[in-house]
Amino acid sequence: MNGFLVRNRAVLLAYGAVVLLLLVTAAFSPGFLSAANIRATLVLAAFVGIVALGQTFVIIGAGIDLSIPWVLNTAAILMTMLCASENLPLLWVMPLMLALGGGIGLFNGVGVAYFGVPAIIMTLATNVMLQGLILVFTGGSPTPLAPDAIRFLAVGQLGQVPVIVVIWAVLGVAATVLLSKMSFGRHLYALGGNETVAEFSGVPTRRTKILTYVGSGMTAAFAGMLMTGYSGQAYLGMGDPYLFTSVAAAAIGGASILGGTGHYVGTVAGALVLTILTGLLPALNLSSGALQVVYGAVILITVALSSDGVSATWAALFGRRKTQGAK
Amino acid sequence: MDLIEVSGLTKRYGGIVALEQASFSARAGEVHALIGENGAGKSTFIQILAGAVAHDGGDVLFDGAHYNPANPDDAETTGVTAVFQELSLIPDLTVEENIWFRREPRRWWGAADRRELRRKTLDLFEKYEFPPIQADRDVRRLTLAEQQIVEIAKGLAKSTRVLILDEATSALPAKETEWLLKLTRKLAEEGLLVIFISHRMGEVRSIADRMTIFRNGSTVATHVTDEVSDDEIVAQMIGRQMDRLYPERHDTTTGRIALKVSNLECGSRLRGVGFELREGEVLGVGGLQGHGHRELFQSLFGASRSTGEVELWGRAARFNSPNQALSGRDGIALVPEDRGGQGLLNSMSVRENLTLSVQRRMTWCGLVDSKREAALVREMVDLLSIKVETPEQEAGTLSGGNQQKVVFGKMLLTEARVLLLYDPTRGVDVGTKSEIFQLMRDLAAQGYAILFHSSDMPELVHVCDRVMVLRAGHVAALLDRSAISEEAILRAAVLEKDT
Repeated sequence: MNGFLVRNRAVLLAYGAVVLLLLVTAAFSPGFLSAANIRATLVLAAFVGIVALGQTFVIIGAGIDLSIPWVLNTAAILMTMLCASENLPLLWVMPLMLALGGGIGLFNGVGVAYFGVPAIIMTLATNVMLQGLILVFTGGSPTPLAPDAIRFLAVGQLGQVPVIVVIWAVLGVAATVLLSKMSFGRHLYALGGNETVAEFSGVPTRRTKILTYVGSGMTAAFAGMLMTGYSGQAYLGMGDPYLFTSVAAAAIGGASILGGTGHYVGTVAGALVLTILTGLLPALNLSSGALQVVYGAVILITVALSSDGVSATWAALFGRRKTQGAK
Repeated sequence: MDLIEVSGLTKRYGGIVALEQASFSARAGEVHALIGENGAGKSTFIQILAGAVAHDGGDVLFDGAHYNPANPDDAETTGVTAVFQELSLIPDLTVEENIWFRREPRRWWGAADRRELRRKTLDLFEKYEFPPIQADRDVRRLTLAEQQIVEIAKGLAKSTRVLILDEATSALPAKETEWLLKLTRKLAEEGLLVIFISHRMGEVRSIADRMTIFRNGSTVATHVTDEVSDDEIVAQMIGRQMDRLYPERHDTTTGRIALKVSNLECGSRLRGVGFELREGEVLGVGGLQGHGHRELFQSLFGASRSTGEVELWGRAARFNSPNQALSGRDGIALVPEDRGGQGLLNSMSVRENLTLSVQRRMTWCGLVDSKREAALVREMVDLLSIKVETPEQEAGTLSGGNQQKVVFGKMLLTEARVLLLYDPTRGVDVGTKSEIFQLMRDLAAQGYAILFHSSDMPELVHVCDRVMVLRAGHVAALLDRSAISEEAILRAAVLEKDT
């Protein structure tokens, strides 16, 4: 069997879950498999997928980025304000916001790599600081409408295909190449697998680590702008749901929170699982509170299954057992 | 009557046979050595005795009764305690807390009785004349050797009838090794059965009453130590006559200086070390552990901060990170001390491990050229005869010797011509040891310059062109070829007066 699939059994399982969920959903709501519905699902999955891209890289490197919600929110709000009140063209504002996201990621990365601050604390602190800054900055009042150009990127279509799905596909291919075919990917897996070994092997561990946070900041900022285009407006707290989903998508896709394993190909499946699930649950006619509980529980179970439990069962049933300690 | 009698013992992992038809018997009051190459089945055998692994077939009798422990606790209750090579200590607990872990003396309301804990620890240390270790120190702050000693203390803290020592000396410096060997004898004289595993024939000879030889997952023979020659033992271990452990030494040193170090200082551990390493030379670094060897190797490699002057091939070269040190032909490469913790990514493939340090030799604008990579991997697998089914095999599943070859290969691929080898034969079987020594001499002949530290003194004596002895962070002696002997090294390592 292909080496990639052997190592990333969880990826296969995640896609299995996607298919299963599709079938279940189709059974519950027969109209689900219509072209329009699939399009809508893909668009929503793209948001999750793009946010989770950066998170996947950080997690493979044995870190975590908890600053995603407010990096996303900051980019969204600043973009609308700059475009409306300063009347700057989006062509300028977008790179500026990406640079801002990258800059915040740099701040996170330097704190983690050079000052040894645990990733959880570092990025959590960044998140809280950004939240405070934005609250002060906007005074809590709503922000102007999203510029038209970003609306096109978020809701426009190229023929039958939504623009954002195309963007997601391009980013997905780029991420896959980066992880599978480039030395950066090798360095990243080594870093996440065992930092000391990576260091002793000449891997530029600090640089690699920082780059993952920079990337995560940029994808969060990018997703924030696209979401603004989608909903027509930026609002406070719009990024909050994406912290959990970004980590869950990576985990469902087979990334271990301990680092060293996982792949963006799996995260894509994770994003699809989460999105389809969100679409399926309302069909069950539960109250919104109960929905949240079910949603959380299903994700928990999926992650538990896609990590050790199933892999071990799978190995016991079909594969050679691990020779624990045998020489 | 024999205390332990094993017959037809078998253990399989899936399709892999780890142990087949092993038989063994040992009596109370003897030191019984198990020897054999890595992968010969010793580890599985003692894991079964210690209750860590259940056997599939065969029978074990302990004191005449059937013995099939469900877990290590069960085994210890019966009277079998093992000190494994893989350390089982908890880094954030202190020495004494680790020794009495889960068996702490308690006050009536359940809290640990710290005073009693200390008293018991000091009693234990005194009774067996342990080397000085602070009882209240966190284990994470101890050296590997000290951790090994704590592990031994933990084993002795249990009242036991059988003590299994799995390569307990491989992490210990000379003085502590001597202490452990003496202790082992004493325990046997007190009526314990000590099962002793070591790759060092000298140790086995000095303390074992009998030895059982393992090969390919089975027992080959049991000998009384005094009635068998080294050659016979080695022949039975490898199943063929091995020419010799140590290679022939031809002087391949040229006049060119590869590495020149002066005034190297690193905290209180290195206090102004200076020496020259020449092209084509194997320079040994000897002395007792904790006298600056680790700091010397790591400083040169850029993994520890230090001050002083270092010249590589005539040019100043101070490295701040291994990344800078592994810069190609004019760089410097290190085979580190701790294979699992510093050298090898266990869950990655042999291929990915081998090429981790040489991404620039196989990438084009950051993109990996898989054909080029495959060629590099093949080159090393062939050169070092690494035994793998496929280069995609997980590195952690290889035997110790093959794992070490992978680490070696990774460093050789960097093409650095100055090699730092820190105890490269630790936990490696005899066959691979011999291959590594031959490789070192071959590389020297090709113009490599090698700095070689070993915790096993005969290796320094038989492989090196010169030996430098470190004591208290400075060079205590520099022995020429004709002056190298175990006695000379030890004298320089322990005596205050420089020779």
